[in-house]
Amino acid sequence: MSYHSLDHSAEAFGFIEELDHLTTPGEIIDAMQRSFARFGFENFIMTGLPHPDQRIETLVLLKKWPLDWYRRYTQNGYDRHDPVIRLCRQTVQPFEWAEASCDPAVNPRGAEIMRGAAEFGMKQGYCLPIHGLNGFEACLSMSGPHPDLTPQNKPALHLMAIYAFERARLVLAPPPPPNPLTAREKETLRWAALGKSAADTGEILGVTERTVTAHICSACQKLSAANKTHAVARALQHRLIEL
Amino acid sequence: MTLIQVITQDNKSQYSDVLDEYFRLRHKVFVDERGWEDLRRPDGREVDAYDNEHAIYLIALDKGRVIGGLRLYPTLLPHMISEAFPHLVRERGVLTGASILECTRYFIVKERRTGRTDCRLLAAFQQFCLEEGITEVTAVVEMWWLPRWHQAGFKVRPLGLPTMVEGQPCIAAAIRISEESLEHISRLAGLRGSCLLRDSGISSLYVQVPHVAA
Repeated sequence: MSYHSLDHSAEAFGFIEELDHLTTPGEIIDAMQRSFARFGFENFIMTGLPHPDQRIETLVLLKKWPLDWYRRYTQNGYDRHDPVIRLCRQTVQPFEWAEASCDPAVNPRGAEIMRGAAEFGMKQGYCLPIHGLNGFEACLSMSGPHPDLTPQNKPALHLMAIYAFERARLVLAPPPPPNPLTAREKETLRWAALGKSAADTGEILGVTERTVTAHICSACQKLSAANKTHAVARALQHRLIEL
Repeated sequence: MTLIQVITQDNKSQYSDVLDEYFRLRHKVFVDERGWEDLRRPDGREVDAYDNEHAIYLIALDKGRVIGGLRLYPTLLPHMISEAFPHLVRERGVLTGASILECTRYFIVKERRTGRTDCRLLAAFQQFCLEEGITEVTAVVEMWWLPRWHQAGFKVRPLGLPTMVEGQPCIAAAIRISEESLEHISRLAGLRGSCLLRDSGISSLYVQVPHVAA
């Protein structure tokens, strides 16, 4: 197969723009599969790098790997010996799997893992390490039988991988908890925060003092607050109201 | 606690010591540490053609000591991307505009790179730009910065493909300035309020930036 007609920059920018519209992990996997296939990649995995007490399967964000290989990899804790993962921890630059040294004398299990991957068609690969703020470590590793890793394609893949990772991170991040307060509850808390009594607030809003107190009581329950002052403090602290 | 001081043409004379220290540290970081030999100067101060009356500096100070900083420069004037790195924006062209600045010479001193100083400087950067009505900021950075910006909550669009500069893959990109990004990075920085120090009486940026006649 020839990839010479591939416009790598149009492909990269098109992919990055497409990512913005994707809202589920499945859609991201489909888009990656389509775009990376044009560069000869069939499989990929996006994962955090495990600390000694963590299992890699709890850190995987997205994957398109042969299921049998994934099972074998995770059940045997291959990430402890995988030369690709080892190199990931040491560099911020993307690299080809072949660059991850795998001297069978030094790391016999590593050599075995690379041979196993090749049996599943994952013969050559390209890996992007991610080193974020506060010690965050992850990678996106992609592979195929004959990927097209030309000097023109590598920068495009590098950029695409960073944006794919970012989109997956955003889509998989837990959404911020919604504001439980109603508009009236927020309004009464805001006036309370400005020093108004329930009677004052009732006058301002054109409702009875009892109604204001009811709104505040309801807000106290929702915020697990002991009283009005406590509720105001919590609402400000969690940015549920603004002054 | 780290505070970020804004220094412009208007108040520069009061901060000559701080600026001198900033230029000295730039030399230490970019020449001695990173090995950008073209920038080496006998006086040990890294100063270039863009350190002129149009430059705006955000300097990170801890108890009066400079621990980092960055420089902002109008994109309506010839700037680093348009003059030194046009090949990095081959695919999309040089981005210019009255509400677009270029950020250069960003650094945090080595001993402060593990803490929250980066987050503070980035928060102050978003806040300053928001207050000045800036919409986007362009920059050339090494690729490993992109995931860090993303994690900081910045919306970043590439202006070209990664290209080797001084042996490192770098990219020209534009950071969108927004309330959401400021909120996100402030949270990461552990900031409750602002860490931006501005002297009163600094004229707004728009007075200094040469406008295209309407």
